[in-house]
Amino acid sequence: MAAQASAASVHRGPVFSMKGVTKVYAMGEVEVHALRGVDLELHEGEFTVLLGPSGSGKSTLLNILGGLDRPTAGRVTYREGDLSEAGERALTRYRRRHVGFVFQFYNLIPSLTARENVALVTEIAGDPIAPEEALALVGLKYRLDHFPSQMSGGEQQRVAIARAIAKRPDVLLCDEPTGALDISTGIAVLGALERVNSELGTTTAVITHNAAISAMADRVISLADGQITSDVRNATKQPAATIEW
Amino acid sequence: MKALDRKLLRDLWNVRSQVLAIALVVSSGIALLVMAQGVFGSLLTTRDAYYTRYAFADVFAGAKRVPNWIEERIAAIPGVRQVQTRVVVSVSLDVPGVTDPVNGRLISLPDRGRPALNDLALRRGRFLDPDRAEEALVGERFAEAHGLDLGDRLFAVINGRRQPLEIVGVALSPEFVYGIGPGELVPDPKHFGFLWMTRRHLATAFEMEGGFNDVALTLADDSPSLERAAIVELDAILDPYGGLGAIPRADQTSNWYLENELTQLENMGLLVPLIFIAVATFLLNVVLRRTVAVQREQIAALKALGYSNLRLGIHYVQWAVVVVALGALLGIGAGLLLAEAMLGLYMEYFRFPLLIYNVSASSILIAVGVSLVAATVGALGAVRSVVSLPPAEAMRPAAPETFRVSLFERLGARRWLSQPARMVLRNLSRRPVRAGLSIVGIAFAGAIMVVGSAMMDSMDELLEVQFNIIQRQDLSVSFFEPVERSAVHELAALSGVLQVEPTNGVAARLRNGHLQKQTAIQALAPDARLQRVVDVDYRAIRLDRPGLVLSTLLAEQLQVEPGDTLMVEIMEDGRPVREVVLTDTVDDLLGVTAYMEQESLRRLVRRDDTISGAMLKIDSLAEERLFGLLKAMPAVAGVTLRSAALENIQTYMLDNMSMMMSVNLLFAVIIAFGVIYNTARISLSETSRELASLRVIGFTRGEISSILLGELGILTVASIPLGLLLGYGMIAGVMSAFESELFRLPVVVDPNTFLVSAATVLGSMAVSAWTVRRKLHDLDLVAVLKTRE
Repeated sequence: MAAQASAASVHRGPVFSMKGVTKVYAMGEVEVHALRGVDLELHEGEFTVLLGPSGSGKSTLLNILGGLDRPTAGRVTYREGDLSEAGERALTRYRRRHVGFVFQFYNLIPSLTARENVALVTEIAGDPIAPEEALALVGLKYRLDHFPSQMSGGEQQRVAIARAIAKRPDVLLCDEPTGALDISTGIAVLGALERVNSELGTTTAVITHNAAISAMADRVISLADGQITSDVRNATKQPAATIEW
Repeated sequence: MKALDRKLLRDLWNVRSQVLAIALVVSSGIALLVMAQGVFGSLLTTRDAYYTRYAFADVFAGAKRVPNWIEERIAAIPGVRQVQTRVVVSVSLDVPGVTDPVNGRLISLPDRGRPALNDLALRRGRFLDPDRAEEALVGERFAEAHGLDLGDRLFAVINGRRQPLEIVGVALSPEFVYGIGPGELVPDPKHFGFLWMTRRHLATAFEMEGGFNDVALTLADDSPSLERAAIVELDAILDPYGGLGAIPRADQTSNWYLENELTQLENMGLLVPLIFIAVATFLLNVVLRRTVAVQREQIAALKALGYSNLRLGIHYVQWAVVVVALGALLGIGAGLLLAEAMLGLYMEYFRFPLLIYNVSASSILIAVGVSLVAATVGALGAVRSVVSLPPAEAMRPAAPETFRVSLFERLGARRWLSQPARMVLRNLSRRPVRAGLSIVGIAFAGAIMVVGSAMMDSMDELLEVQFNIIQRQDLSVSFFEPVERSAVHELAALSGVLQVEPTNGVAARLRNGHLQKQTAIQALAPDARLQRVVDVDYRAIRLDRPGLVLSTLLAEQLQVEPGDTLMVEIMEDGRPVREVVLTDTVDDLLGVTAYMEQESLRRLVRRDDTISGAMLKIDSLAEERLFGLLKAMPAVAGVTLRSAALENIQTYMLDNMSMMMSVNLLFAVIIAFGVIYNTARISLSETSRELASLRVIGFTRGEISSILLGELGILTVASIPLGLLLGYGMIAGVMSAFESELFRLPVVVDPNTFLVSAATVLGSMAVSAWTVRRKLHDLDLVAVLKTRE
């Protein structure tokens, strides 16, 4: 499938394209409509913030983009590949080669040090950045041999970012990356994301319910009740360091 | 039902496969205990009832020929309650259609009425008609082995003459519960049988009219001093009539074997059940610790709602109670079934006319109680840490686990290890005690397998030594009376006989101070080749010095060492007592024996140069014809085939051992599966979040499986050598516990036994891994990202 297409190939179309995507979960005997016919395109190098209250469907959207979930109906393509039709193996391969994830609770491996958590990914990637270099990029070159339990939340999240970008992903997907952090450490994390986006040119999507973060984005998409309610392009991007909430 | 009890049931249901696995381990321990106790109790009760109802005698004695009027003198011995005199003769039997040599013992029954002692239980047919000379009763196993029916005829060969016998009944006697023939280890009803005839007719056939050659008596009470005194008196009375020395009930052959078996059963039922219970306790502790860790916040909430520490403690202890109760239910059921199956096997070799099931309730209660206490301790250990936390603190997530670089990595292996391999090592080394106990638990499974199979190996070795190194004759011949040595030449002259060696023996009492032992001294030629004395390295010992050689065990019993002098009382006319030097001891494996060079023995006994039997090596093609010729020789009392004896023992072993082996295999698999499966489930529960995270960032199912299974693999592989070692230690312990006058099993473990043990453990691991791997496929990748641990 085309999802395997080399990340290096020059491509001018949208990176992601969603057409009429719906997602229905069966929660016991109740059906929950998490997405109701979403159309969306994300472009190369864009820093997008997906904004919405909890239950708006933003996480579902991100999970589908990341190959963790499949839509109930509609079509999702990554470059020329069809994610909505891909099988379990193909999705695993897609995540492995093209996607970097950052989660609210970091999801680091507690038994591995910062360097080793990053190495976890570089060992299975084709053309990775050295773990030390990736950690330096997020400002953690002095914490290489610390275990997660020896680091603060913000530091752990930055390790998670380093882990996500070390394989040079085509797209970086972040789910509430600052959700578990206080403001100052949250800003350090956002700074790291900003730097990755600008220095590596990685297409980045951040979902959050924190509207303040949208100031640093190229594009802000708002969701409510499973539908896109607005799609705005920022005229100027505000540096992460100046954001306040 | 209280809400908390509902929670208990649902929690248990959620981990039902783990609960079941632990309950099975508990049940294995209880089943083993119930089985051993059930078989022991039932055999003991059955034996006692049988002995009482059928008046099994207290003292037995044989003699050459005693006039009938002596019976009154015996009855007059102080403390004697009842006396039974009999005629007992060994004969060779001719069973129509059977070519193998068959030997038998003919025992007289009173002309009128039932025997006052050692009464028979009639299984089929009727008692003897005193007016009919040819009527006989046969023992049940003999009848079964030859398919004999009422009205069938067979022949006793008496002085070369065939005396026809008509079977009118099939019977059992308390004297022959374990109906073993002379020189046999295991009853061989195909080649040896017991028959009963009316006294008058038997005496006539054997020229024993007006006399008897066997006496049994009961005593007024069972005090040892009375028994000793009666034996001394009886010996004195029978002395002039060729008394062979009286023996107490304890030394009576069948009873002695039965007693030995009971002792083994009694000892067997303890160690192994305890291992199972210990392993179950450990598993319960681990599973509960994990459950409590996961439910930390629930516990805090419950405490915030007002539940007391005690109530919560009880809640988790109930877990243990449910598991033990389930295990006890299964275990008692399985134990009773196993006991019945085992008893069925015993009834094949030990014959009773009745069977009284007796499983002592108290032993079962103790087993369940011990399991319960152990499990409760395991549960409390797990719960205490959480219950003692203040609710507010418990409400917060537990501090993240701290990890270290494992020792193995620090030793320099780190650079070679992939990140997943490091995860495996660090997970293991974070809980070294738990990993260690898991290894020990799995090792027990391997050890149980080793013990089971090594029993077989030892038996094989024993048979190999006994039947290929020590006894190398094809058949042995015994005579009614000692005959001239020239008989050797007669035997050698028979066509088909390749080699002949005389055997000679004398019944004797060996004494050292107050210690004494009744046995037979076997005479051997210095250059004997067909029957030899071999040392612990299986090298033949040359008997060329005058003096005794004793089995090491016998020498220990008599507390003598080479160089010491023993008093030897010869159980023949006049019962002379001689001093003999112990020249050597030999670590033999079967029986306890005294050996002497034949010429020295002859001088000791001061008798003519006679022999009591012979060993023959023969041409197998001439076998059948030779049996006929030997039976026709008037002097020949019996012919025994070595191959038949060997085959019989092997059948016995296969019968007994194959059941034990299957039970062992089952239990080993249960324990291995119990430990490995629980370890796998726990580590899955502990690492599922990490594993799901890895799946999210692109690891395949195969890759995360290898992390989880790598941990199991390391535990399992590490357990194998330990299991083999433990097994070897246990088998050495078991063998020394089994050491008896009957046999000493050499500690021999065939390499295949180790292989089978390792394979069983690895197989159990494969099944556990397969079961858990399916759970890995169901990991919820999305949920894991949304929750904090």
